[in-house]
Amino acid sequence: MSQTGYLILGISILVALLIIFVVSFVLYRRTPVPKGCENIKISEENCAGCTHSECSFYKKKEESEE
Amino acid sequence: MNILITFILGIISSMLIDNVVLSRFYGICPFLGVSKKVKSALGMGIAVVFVIVLATLICWPLYNFILVPAKIQFLDTVAYILVIASLVQLVGLFIKKYSPSLYKTLGIYLPLITTNCAVLGVAQGNTDQALDFLSSLANGIGTSVGFLVIIVVFSCIRVRLESANTPKAFKGLPIALITAAIMAMAFMGLQGLFSGINV
Amino acid sequence: MSREKGYTKQNFLKGLFIENPLFISVLGTCPALATTKSIEAAIGMGILFTIVLICSNTLISLLRKLIPEEIRTPSYIVVIATFVTIVKMLTNAFLPELYSTLGVFISLIVVNCIVLGRAEAFASKNNVFDSFIDGIGMGVGYTMALCIMAFFREFLGTGGFAFGNIFTFIPYFKLQIIPKGYEISLFTTPVGAFIVFGLILAVMAFYKNRKAEYQAFLQRKERQRKAEEAKAKAAALAAHKPVEEAK
Repeated sequence: MSQTGYLILGISILVALLIIFVVSFVLYRRTPVPKGCENIKISEENCAGCTHSECSFYKKKEESEE
Repeated sequence: MNILITFILGIISSMLIDNVVLSRFYGICPFLGVSKKVKSALGMGIAVVFVIVLATLICWPLYNFILVPAKIQFLDTVAYILVIASLVQLVGLFIKKYSPSLYKTLGIYLPLITTNCAVLGVAQGNTDQALDFLSSLANGIGTSVGFLVIIVVFSCIRVRLESANTPKAFKGLPIALITAAIMAMAFMGLQGLFSGINV
Repeated sequence: MSREKGYTKQNFLKGLFIENPLFISVLGTCPALATTKSIEAAIGMGILFTIVLICSNTLISLLRKLIPEEIRTPSYIVVIATFVTIVKMLTNAFLPELYSTLGVFISLIVVNCIVLGRAEAFASKNNVFDSFIDGIGMGVGYTMALCIMAFFREFLGTGGFAFGNIFTFIPYFKLQIIPKGYEISLFTTPVGAFIVFGLILAVMAFYKNRKAEYQAFLQRKERQRKAEEAKAKAAALAAHKPVEEAK
């Protein structure tokens, strides 16, 4: 293949990558969150670094993990 | 046989001797941010292994068979970040749609991987050092497994640190960083592990 | 336009102190640990980072009405990656020593959380001038933070400061403060990076705690004063009443 052919191929592949990225990004955002996963973030943020061992939720969490 | 030994040594050396977090400083953000719980650290680590290995498999041929013949090597960073970002989105899309249970463990970490230095660092490092395909793959596997190991070990230590009696000013990140320093010191002892082996 | 006086100055200074990207928000830690072996490398990294941040902030702010809401993040990533590529090529051409010292970390500016974070949090909502100033402030703040870390690491690790290794256009000179043989070379290794960063964050937390304690102390005092006042009032009222009854 000639140099120009390679150049066109390379650039078209980059453009294709960009299109794949944008389409997959939009699709990812539009896909609804599966059932049972709606509030993972909240508990993760609130209790991940929690040090209050007196907290009832913390104790419950520890028991469920064991 | 020789190739196999080189491959395995490559994996081990980029996993332990030249550890991704502790001596190459890739991926410090998730290392500090997602290591408060062992479970979340494990999820993040596995997601990173998956994405890094896939990205290495795609980026090496992309660079050597497409960008080099077309003489547009300077676009490597753009190409790699596009590959990584679309890979992350596609994997996330797949998981979100077909596997709720996997989404529960990995879902919230996947979008974070796009901005994880380790992934782009491995792809770019392979290019900058002009590694061949097998060495690139060894580097990818070693780096990602090294990240998984180190983040899980670190999260185990951090869980203990939460209840330890540290000075008030050191609570949280500072003591975590000092702990990481001590771990880095331990990993420094592994340097020169393969210096006697000639392959 | 109704805006506070001195907003631009505040906008610039917030990147340096109140919202310092490295020491307060703890973002962009990878280059902060990797490129702070010497002050020169830190300055170089900071300058490259600042250029990328200013360019991306300005362009994204210019395009903020053209980019659809849904594909914001992808377009930001492409814009940032383009500027990083330009900066990388310029560095390779004009400062090859800096290019080889920083290595892969120039490319890693693409995935630096600060650039993407500023684009999403600030440049996509504010006008071009404000975004430009924000970029300068954040960039200078980050450079300053890198220099503080590099100062301690180079001073303790090599016993002095060397210039002219990376910026070859200035003559080489070395300032040796700690006599040779007494430096702690541990600080130039990764271990030293973690220790210095941890200690700096601890100092920041110490001052923050002390400030918070002082505020709490002031509040407590204020409350006490109010309580005493109320008590005195009640006492005065109580003292007054019997007198009235006696009448």
